[in-house]
Amino acid sequence: MMMWQIIKNEWHFLARNRVLLGISFGFVGILFLTVYLGNLQTQEQAQRYQTAQTHLRQQWENIEEMNPHSAAHYGTYVFKPTCLLSGLDEGVNSITGNVLRVEGHVQNEIVHSEASQMQAISKFGKLKSALLLQYIIPLLLIFLAFQSIYGEKQGGRLKLLLLQGTHLTQILVAKTLSVCLYGIGLLGLTISVYVLLNLNSINTDILGRTALLFLSYSFYYFILSGLTVFFSARWENTNLALTSMLGIWIVWTIFLPNVLMSSVERWHPLPSREAFKTAMKEDRSKGLDGHNPADKRSKALEEKVLKEYGADSLAQLPINFDGIVMQEDEEYGNKVWDEHFGNLRKALAEQKQTYQLGGLINPFISLQNTSMGFAGNDNLHHQEFLVQVENYRRVFIKTLNDKHAYGGSRTGDWSWKAGNDFFRSVADFEYSPPVLSSVFSHYVFDIILLLFWGLLTAILLIFGTKKMSIL
Amino acid sequence: MKNVTLFLYEWKHFIRNPFKVMAILLFIMASVYGLHNGADLYHEQKAEVKKIEQRIKGDRQKIIKEHYQKGNLVPENRPWIDYSTPFWALWYASVYHFKNPSPAMVYSIGQAEQYGFYKRITFRASPYDADLAQEIANPERLQTGTLDFSFTLLFLAPLVLLVLLYNLKSAEIEQGFMPLIEVQNPSKITWLLSRMGFYAVLLFLVIAGLLFYGAMLTRILAGTGNAFRDMLLYSFIYLVFWSVLFFFILLKGKSILGNTLQMTGIYLLFTFIIPATVHQLLSIRQPANLMTDLIDVRDQQEELYSQPDSVFQAQLNELFPAIVSSPVYKDSSKRKLAMNRSASALINELKKASIQPIEKDKQVKNAFVRGTFWFNPISFFQNRFNAIAHTHYDDYQSYRDEIQALVDSQVRKMVLDTWHDVKVDQEKFSKYQKMSVE
Repeated sequence: MMMWQIIKNEWHFLARNRVLLGISFGFVGILFLTVYLGNLQTQEQAQRYQTAQTHLRQQWENIEEMNPHSAAHYGTYVFKPTCLLSGLDEGVNSITGNVLRVEGHVQNEIVHSEASQMQAISKFGKLKSALLLQYIIPLLLIFLAFQSIYGEKQGGRLKLLLLQGTHLTQILVAKTLSVCLYGIGLLGLTISVYVLLNLNSINTDILGRTALLFLSYSFYYFILSGLTVFFSARWENTNLALTSMLGIWIVWTIFLPNVLMSSVERWHPLPSREAFKTAMKEDRSKGLDGHNPADKRSKALEEKVLKEYGADSLAQLPINFDGIVMQEDEEYGNKVWDEHFGNLRKALAEQKQTYQLGGLINPFISLQNTSMGFAGNDNLHHQEFLVQVENYRRVFIKTLNDKHAYGGSRTGDWSWKAGNDFFRSVADFEYSPPVLSSVFSHYVFDIILLLFWGLLTAILLIFGTKKMSIL
Repeated sequence: MKNVTLFLYEWKHFIRNPFKVMAILLFIMASVYGLHNGADLYHEQKAEVKKIEQRIKGDRQKIIKEHYQKGNLVPENRPWIDYSTPFWALWYASVYHFKNPSPAMVYSIGQAEQYGFYKRITFRASPYDADLAQEIANPERLQTGTLDFSFTLLFLAPLVLLVLLYNLKSAEIEQGFMPLIEVQNPSKITWLLSRMGFYAVLLFLVIAGLLFYGAMLTRILAGTGNAFRDMLLYSFIYLVFWSVLFFFILLKGKSILGNTLQMTGIYLLFTFIIPATVHQLLSIRQPANLMTDLIDVRDQQEELYSQPDSVFQAQLNELFPAIVSSPVYKDSSKRKLAMNRSASALINELKKASIQPIEKDKQVKNAFVRGTFWFNPISFFQNRFNAIAHTHYDDYQSYRDEIQALVDSQVRKMVLDTWHDVKVDQEKFSKYQKMSVE
């Protein structure tokens, strides 16, 4: 009850402070603008994506007639769609490519990132809500909290409160909560506006993600507010409390994420593109060559198929052996891609796990991970998109190869063409963003670390201020 | 004389404040780490270029040995290949074009990690091919950004300056010494300037020392040393920019808290808010290009192949008038094959035409960014540092232009030699490699 009274008093004090009120209104305005702009940009990008995707599908459906294998080379393109929560936290989206070619014989990489289309602008990304919520609001909370206990000490109110029977811990926790709630209020407003703007597209998954995003930021705001209140209580000098927290802010948000991420890539190195490609090419060359009938492995397959159909020569086969060779070539290639791209994904996962450990010394890292993760825009979601495209590619190429083999043509007849109906029947790529329940486990450690830091802050507030001077 | 004394006396203030000393030490550590990151990337890229050059050399020697020296110009297992034809000889010439890293990369990694730096040149290539993709990297690391020297200079140096200056004058006001100081120093501005000057000079000397250390890592001074000079100059201007801003805050400010708030606010405004707003507005105005113009070449190519031979030939003749007087043009038995092989030339033209709107889109974006430099100084300095380190967008655009010029040159060579029925031998094969690389 007393704690609630202190919180209420703090809020009354904050509401009476015109400067703070002005700053708060300004902040709310900027946050609304950020949400609006973020949303607008996501819509613009989604519109462009839709136009491009429709254009490409039309091109595919307009194929009058074509040899299925020529169609596999003609291929199609997949564009990376924007996620609804991109407006809040864009994550890695501007860095990763946007266009992925889907064709026979090869698993391509996604190219043409937004960042590569212009000169450098902002090292910390676009003006998304995440930028304000991760960098600016924490600073505001520090400025609000650094004088909270010292100011009470200076004015003699702390002594008065203690004489009235309030426990010191209650005062510290109440001060922390009052500042933290200010941040949570701004966060809540941001998310509410975002939800309102996108009411038609909200589903339970998005709501769940938004709720977890909200929780992660709330924990972080509690940690920062609590630490600042702790320093305000411990240090004999208010400037020291402020400069200590500013130092922590600099190290946590600007210095450590960069250093740790660069170090992590050294500890779990990725292959160079040249080494990666050369190794795949070498492994690929060990399989059969779909375009070379004289290849030894093609000959072995030929014998097997002839035996299967009880034929003496390819000409006697009721099917087109070329299509079978092409698919066999694909199957072998798929094994090679799985191994090499699998190793790459493994190395990236190891990097991520090691980086997550950084949350032990820096809760900002855990916040960043959960923020872009729950927004569906971290590397994990990006890799999931790539895997889905590759799975689609395999089905897409197999459909074409099967048509080539069993569609009515005979071996060696490269002039045979499938009709428009067939090409229309080939399904287009549809991305299913991973549901929260399937990826949640990847962020449990980050949440535990945020909880750990929250607990540590509470312990500091309760036990670390026992010997503080109250005069 | 009094000002010099004030300037020198500030040293004592500085060393007695562990927080300020720590800030400088942390800055030095971060900068050294950043310089090593830049130097490592420079050495890695150099090593990669060397490795590829060696592989190419091996590939070429293998072809010379197995095909040209043995006279095995049409391999048994791949009968469609004929190394004596310009088409196949150029295809297997393994010509690469590199963007050799500049030693100045030690100062700014810039956009080096967003682009590829080696590209195989063939008559079918384009500067937008997938093999010109960036090196494999963790996207989250790229998003966080590598801690290079330009990062410490752009984002940490102003914070260090803030830490060094935040209590100047305001501490004296809060402690009540100001009237005494005013008696001793007739000009408050000169007094503040002298004290601020000490920290600005100290930070500049630290930066200069770090620049020199960086220069030793990649032997910048062994060359012209222009990068070192330019970095020194722009670092100085950048430091002056922040010093002037902070000076006015300190001059008007009356409390440590007020000064810290204002200095932090200005810092956030210039380093976070303005660049991020510009970036956001640009993304709304010009969303990421999905390269559909380039993709459309696929259909245009199909249309090209479906044209009557006469139209196809007329287009080729227009592009290469010398074809009309060539021996193959007069030999109807060889003309069809030459025409098919020359299709790459027409496709190259289609690609070039489709690249134009993409490049225009990029130019608009870059013009927009440049137009904001007058109120967006951090992006200006960031791009200046990138330009000095040859890791700027424009450097990679020039590289793409060079690639296109080399593709054009190879297309021309392939078409004209095909129509002139040139037989490729070992000497000619070697010339093809040199012709394209030069």
